[in-house]
Amino acid sequence: MALLLRTLGRQGICLSRPQYTVPFRHAAPMGTTAKEEMNKFWAKNTRLNRPMSPHITVYKWSVPMMMSIAHRGTGVGLSGAISAFALAALVLPGNYPDYLDMIHSLSVGPGLIGLAKFGIAFPVSFHTYNGIRHLFWDIGKGFKIPDVYRTGYTVIGLSIVTSIAVALL
Amino acid sequence: MASVVRLSCVCRRGFKPLFYQSTLLSRPLAIPHKYQEQPHLLTARIHASQALYAGPGSKAASLHWTAERVLSILLLSMGPVAYFNPGPVIDYSLAAALTLHGHWGLGQVMTDYVHGESKMKAAKASLFLLSTVTFAGLCYFNYNDVGICKAVALLWSK
Repeated sequence: MALLLRTLGRQGICLSRPQYTVPFRHAAPMGTTAKEEMNKFWAKNTRLNRPMSPHITVYKWSVPMMMSIAHRGTGVGLSGAISAFALAALVLPGNYPDYLDMIHSLSVGPGLIGLAKFGIAFPVSFHTYNGIRHLFWDIGKGFKIPDVYRTGYTVIGLSIVTSIAVALL
Repeated sequence: MASVVRLSCVCRRGFKPLFYQSTLLSRPLAIPHKYQEQPHLLTARIHASQALYAGPGSKAASLHWTAERVLSILLLSMGPVAYFNPGPVIDYSLAAALTLHGHWGLGQVMTDYVHGESKMKAAKASLFLLSTVTFAGLCYFNYNDVGICKAVALLWSK
């Protein structure tokens, strides 16, 4: 009798978990993927209305932290700029040289033009150099804290120098 | 002990009432539940998960990671080529590489900050739309206008 109950009970457990009801999932049962675990984590925290633990408001800012978010910020910004450019190309009438002439006719002045060029060159340079730094991390190099700071300052220095040089072209 | 209690139920009230014990009722009925879950999971499989179907033991995520790094290196090499050898080939290659690099990058940002199955589905759909429009726009620009390399050269000559 207990055996019968246990067998039926086990079937109940098996069939109430989503992965067992999916016939095309031919992986071993009893496991959850990292994605499922993460979703469960967030669902539970949302359900219990838990506040977010303070992180950026509490921890002291460091150069690696700032460079990391700058890498993300420049990435998102550059991607947005490219998308905006592509959208403009599709929607706006006329062609590119005409728009450039329009801007040129505003006679902005060399100082502001240089500043604008620096403004474009710096995010590209920083994201590129820091991207190379990321690729070195991906092959396992440069994780020691002194190296993180050294490569970090190198990226910042190179970005500024490159951007100034390019802006002066 | 429990088995003695169960047996006594059977003897007193017959076989059927045994199946209305709370331990068995608490389990959801198997068949309707299965058919309820299936269509939802099918949709979830198509939309919420990444393009490659990822179950346990799948290498999809790891392959995606490698592809991201390969694309980054490829994009790095396109810089000097664009400078020294401008032309339509590098223009279209840049359009493709920049769009895909941006698409995958923004995808990672979404994975970090967007939580929940339906929110992720909506975010991924919008991103796909954005990347498609971006690639279309860049190709249109390459075909009907001066092209990416020439555009940068012209911009910098002002």
